[in-house]
Amino acid sequence: MNLLDIVLTIASVTARALLGRRRTILMLLFAGTPVLLGLLVRIGGTRSGALVPSLEGVIVSSVLPLVALVFGTAALGSELDDGTAVHILTKPIPRWAIVLPKLAVAGGLTAMLLVPATIITGVLVGGGGGRELGLTFAFAIAVLVGSFVYSAIFVALSAATSRGLVIGLGYSLLWEGLLSGALKGTQLFSVREYIRGMATSLAPSGALVSVVGAYGFVLAAVAIVVVAALAAWRLARYEIRAAE
Amino acid sequence: MSEPRARDAAPLILSVDVDPGRPIVLDRVSRWYGNVVAVNDISFALGAGITGLLGPNGAGKSTLLHLLAGLLRPSSGRVLISGRPAWHEPSIYREIGLVPEREAVHSFLTGRQFVDLAARLQRLPDPAAATERAIATVDLAAVADRAVGTYSKGMRQRVKIAAALVHEPGILLLDEPFNGMDPRQRLHMMDLLRSMAAAGRTILFSSHILEEVERLADGILVIYAGRLAAAGDYREIRRLMTDRPHTFRVRSSDDRRLASAFLTEPAVFGAELRDDRLAVQVSEFSGFTRIVARVARDAGVRLFEVAPTDDSLESVFEYLVTRR
Repeated sequence: MNLLDIVLTIASVTARALLGRRRTILMLLFAGTPVLLGLLVRIGGTRSGALVPSLEGVIVSSVLPLVALVFGTAALGSELDDGTAVHILTKPIPRWAIVLPKLAVAGGLTAMLLVPATIITGVLVGGGGGRELGLTFAFAIAVLVGSFVYSAIFVALSAATSRGLVIGLGYSLLWEGLLSGALKGTQLFSVREYIRGMATSLAPSGALVSVVGAYGFVLAAVAIVVVAALAAWRLARYEIRAAE
Repeated sequence: MSEPRARDAAPLILSVDVDPGRPIVLDRVSRWYGNVVAVNDISFALGAGITGLLGPNGAGKSTLLHLLAGLLRPSSGRVLISGRPAWHEPSIYREIGLVPEREAVHSFLTGRQFVDLAARLQRLPDPAAATERAIATVDLAAVADRAVGTYSKGMRQRVKIAAALVHEPGILLLDEPFNGMDPRQRLHMMDLLRSMAAAGRTILFSSHILEEVERLADGILVIYAGRLAAAGDYREIRRLMTDRPHTFRVRSSDDRRLASAFLTEPAVFGAELRDDRLAVQVSEFSGFTRIVARVARDAGVRLFEVAPTDDSLESVFEYLVTRR
């Protein structure tokens, strides 16, 4: 078995564990919320002015971090909590080979739900015009990359603490939701801004404004690598919770 | 757990040979959580054979096994597996098989998939063949294609053992391995562990049941309140456990007359009447149980109740630690 087989084996078990019935239904409901809102806007009459608020305000700011939070913390944190991770941790494999598939599966599932949700919502709200479609697909690609950045952060958080879900929720609401939008300079450390930057660089010119612009791709890639490395470092020093 | 007097007492160590060349070495290992000491200055080395880690619940057995399995960092001291530090060293898992007690198994995997996962993650050249061998070893072939979620506790225990054995490790660490097994499975597992030990493997299993340890282990480590209370041959430790002073509670047709009769016996060193009952202090558990009926008969007293007041395993362990 080479390391690629190991990564694929862990990815397959992680995917089966994450696709439990209750969690899948809940995540489908989350992902369906912006689509439902889009449908309501559509019924009320297509308005291109509502496109950016629907995609950025609802999907990028709220639904994406929440879905990534659930998948990201469940991929590793739940297994560390219930002890199933012990069967993987007590194997002679480098810790990055555990983190990587967890991150990939959590990010992949988040993207699988939210990229289609972004496209459907965009088409419902913005219609089929060239500029609107361009904007919609720009956000879809940015959400695709953003899914992996957020998932990496939440996988790393659950490697670092048993309260990954609560801390991750606080991070999403306070840092990404409030502070990074309000304070200048913090945007360089905001996933939401990276997503906006990526979308801006892909969208028709003048449709969006961003501080980081196309550097959003670079910053997102750096964030994934750095956070995944931190997660692997932390997992290598993971201590089982007090048993007695 | 109450703070035992044992904390400052010298442990009774029958023999602890800390030979660094042995497969398992603990050298003055302590582990604490904040102000709570879970494992307190323990040293021992183990070689081929079966060793039982005996102690009451909460004594620190699981902490000790997790330290050996590299899942906890020692707060002080060294834990070595085949000469390498256990902590932060994934390569030790080629030589260790761990059977955790509490840790769950993904319920959606079948038994075969779970063992196969372990074989693949061990990077074995032929994981399928190793999986079949391990499943046959624990006698689980008939249900290997059922989801683990449908298994009984004993079957789950066996599938965890199969996963731990799949790479044929030189060291096997088992945390309460017989929990949930029926008597037939227990005997089968004991035979399996004996044959593995005979093949030169080092096996350490924890238990809070003296009889399990007695039936299986070549040597035992007794742990109580995080301290190594005793280590060595189980027969010697068993003798210390049974021959310790005891207090018996006795009810009879004439407690006063029976107390006088008991006090003439060499095995009895005290008797007092408390709350309509007779409390008899004896120097030796088994010696008293042999004489009690005869003494009562000779004194013409009918016995209604004879019960040891401090026969919990915990009091046995506490006695071992406090004995100097």
